[in-house]
Amino acid sequence: MTPAISVSGLVKTFGATRALDGLDLEVTPGEVHGFLGPNGAGKSTTIRVLLGLLRADAGHVRLLGGDPWRDAVALHRRLAYVPGDVTLWPGTTGGEAIDLLGRLQGGLDPVRRADLLDRFDLDPRKRSRTYSKGNRQKVALVAALASDAELFVLDEPTSGLDPLMEAVFQEEVRTLHDQGRTVLLSSHVLAEAEALCDRVSIIRHGRTVQSGSLAELRHLTRTTISVETARPVHGLAGLPGVHDLRVAEGRARMDVDGDALDDVVRHLAGAGVRALTSTPPTLEELFLRHYGDEVAADRRQPARVGAVRS
Amino acid sequence: MTGAHPTLAGTGTLVRAALRRDRLRLPLWVAGAAGPVATQSVSSQALYDSPRDLAAYEASVGSNAATIALAGPPVGLDTVAGAVAFEISAFVIVVAALMAVTTTGRHSRGDEEAGRTELLRATRVGRHAPLVAAVAVASLACLATALAVGVAAAATGLPVAGSLVLGASVGAAGLVFTGVTAVVAQATGSTRAAHGSAGLVLGLAFVVRAVGDVQGNGLSWASPIGWAQATHPFSGDRVTPLLLCLGVTAALLVLAGFLLDRRDLGTGLVPARPGRATAPRSLSSPLGLALRLQRGALAGWAVALAVLGLVHGALAGSVETLFADNPEARAFLPDAPGLVDAYLATTLSLDALLAGAYAVAAVLRVRAEESAGRAEPVLATATGRTAFLGSHGAVALVGSSLALVAAGAATAGTRAVATGDAGELGRLLGATVAYLPAVWVLAGAAVLLVGALPRPAAGVAWGAVAYVTVTTLFAESLDWPGWVDGLSPLAWTPLAPIDDVSPARLALLTAVAGALLVAGLTGFRRRDLVPG
Repeated sequence: MTPAISVSGLVKTFGATRALDGLDLEVTPGEVHGFLGPNGAGKSTTIRVLLGLLRADAGHVRLLGGDPWRDAVALHRRLAYVPGDVTLWPGTTGGEAIDLLGRLQGGLDPVRRADLLDRFDLDPRKRSRTYSKGNRQKVALVAALASDAELFVLDEPTSGLDPLMEAVFQEEVRTLHDQGRTVLLSSHVLAEAEALCDRVSIIRHGRTVQSGSLAELRHLTRTTISVETARPVHGLAGLPGVHDLRVAEGRARMDVDGDALDDVVRHLAGAGVRALTSTPPTLEELFLRHYGDEVAADRRQPARVGAVRS
Repeated sequence: MTGAHPTLAGTGTLVRAALRRDRLRLPLWVAGAAGPVATQSVSSQALYDSPRDLAAYEASVGSNAATIALAGPPVGLDTVAGAVAFEISAFVIVVAALMAVTTTGRHSRGDEEAGRTELLRATRVGRHAPLVAAVAVASLACLATALAVGVAAAATGLPVAGSLVLGASVGAAGLVFTGVTAVVAQATGSTRAAHGSAGLVLGLAFVVRAVGDVQGNGLSWASPIGWAQATHPFSGDRVTPLLLCLGVTAALLVLAGFLLDRRDLGTGLVPARPGRATAPRSLSSPLGLALRLQRGALAGWAVALAVLGLVHGALAGSVETLFADNPEARAFLPDAPGLVDAYLATTLSLDALLAGAYAVAAVLRVRAEESAGRAEPVLATATGRTAFLGSHGAVALVGSSLALVAAGAATAGTRAVATGDAGELGRLLGATVAYLPAVWVLAGAAVLLVGALPRPAAGVAWGAVAYVTVTTLFAESLDWPGWVDGLSPLAWTPLAPIDDVSPARLALLTAVAGALLVAGLTGFRRRDLVPG
């Protein structure tokens, strides 16, 4: 099967800045693919290359089996795009902008449009100038989601939405997924990627640092284990792959490397386990390992999730 | 620096920030006003170095309605200094007014539209501070222009008192338009509308004084430009008309403050009404979008040019009257019918300049769309680069042609009625058409710039308009060498109806316009989209 998106060794420079430095990305048809990275990692630049708005300096880029620069117009009939920063024409209404973008893309379904306006609680008669950031984003979302595209390129589409609207968005993406459409979802909201994505690619400084399903990536990280035992456990600190160990009155809490879990659990079993909770690693933690030079410092701080979210 | 009144808190900081933002822009405007004064002063002193030359000059321009309509009241022409003021003051006043309009607009409504005012007002910045700061910066720029013009005139050897009066009149006119912009920035809901309305007031002020000066009937007192020119630098050196400028400016600023207190941040005086929930059929294509975005500006320019055409036609009769009243003129000038045609050729060149400026503005809309990020979602649809730029290019070409023909038709119609000769209609419309290729060349140049040099496109394109304007208005009267205007499409255009229309010339210009257009479209297809 031809990949929906296939990028390898993509390089894009702006003057002295090397925005993309050998980026790889593979999206298979029918999957929701998370495109993750901190601000400035090169997500939007990659997307602009995929849309033929920027020309690649080097590397191989295929989109829906075509060349996104040369075949831009033909390919764009088959995709819908939501920019990260939506600006609309000051004199037009939201409804007009939705229709315009939809018609330019190749037509939109009026029933679906009405349904989406309702679900996103968007008044299409207001002037674009008076829309908030979230409402401008809804305009672009409605225009994209009401189309019949096979590929949806969504660049941080929820950054201005409130939690209620984010839930609506997630349902809509799941519907797309059920219909077998392909979604490239760029985000730095990790909960969103965790909730929606089959696979993710994590990029940093214009390079792909991790790519795979969440399950595949998780083995690279640590599981947090809290345990209550009948007898005090000894020797945990000496086991390979155990980090941040804290022991107090028959309780222990630690982070364990994925490949050391088996040994650690066997060791705990010897002390008589009364209660055990294990928390799978979140994407936050994945992220932290790849984006923090501050990881080392953070390891000593339990409130690491909050640190990433802020 | 919190100021005496809490609503003015932070004004000083805002003024300093605005001056820093404009540290390159404002000196360029001031140089754009003072430079031509120095050039005009030096060249006029070289050209009219004998009393006989000066007398010839006085006789010819004193009876030329076109020159008076463009320049101002023909007073003080018996001295070289007076001639300098006559030749240059209208141009410099318009430059100062445009500087005042754009400076005030950009720091008031422009900041508000961009959301910067909201950010600032949430800090310790008072309600009136942003507007007061914008007005203060524009006023400082007017003051600097006044001084620079005065110094440029005096340093090139003109009498000091008159030089200062000339400078003060230019600065005072700028102040009036600062006030005008402060008012319209409150009333309208967008920067574009604010600049458009202020520009309209400037255009009206120019037309009113042109009619008043040609007919000598006092109508010029209804125009701020007329007030500034009523100072009669180097001949009367009257300063009382400047008090009128200052008084009206003060009144306008009070009105602006009054309006500011009666509207919400981010809106105009009239709250936005709910619009259409769905797009009309016309808004379905790149061309439909370009037309929708440009229709307001196009209608404004077309109506303005048609009105200007009417005025030009109506004033043509004065050419003969002035000529008849001025016996000395006959020694230097052709017969009256030739004079009328020379006048009409000048006015048609002016119409073509304005149509060309509109065409450039219309093409540059593509850059505005691109840098605001609005081109991106459109080009991510099945809209190709050529269709996108081509649509705006088509609006620019067809729109500027319509605007120029509207002006020419209005002049032709007025002449046909005045002379009772229906043949004038066809003859003058034909003459108008001769100016179209020059307008297309300007549009083509703008398309090439947008396609090939996106970042500097706007600056270079307006520079080109300024070059064509200055060479058209001054190259001949200042006796500049022929190569200076060699790149101006208007210099290659036959001065119809006085010159015979050469189809080869027009075909050449049209071919150049076409080549520029194709090169621009090709460049746009090959380059990255450049936001910001």
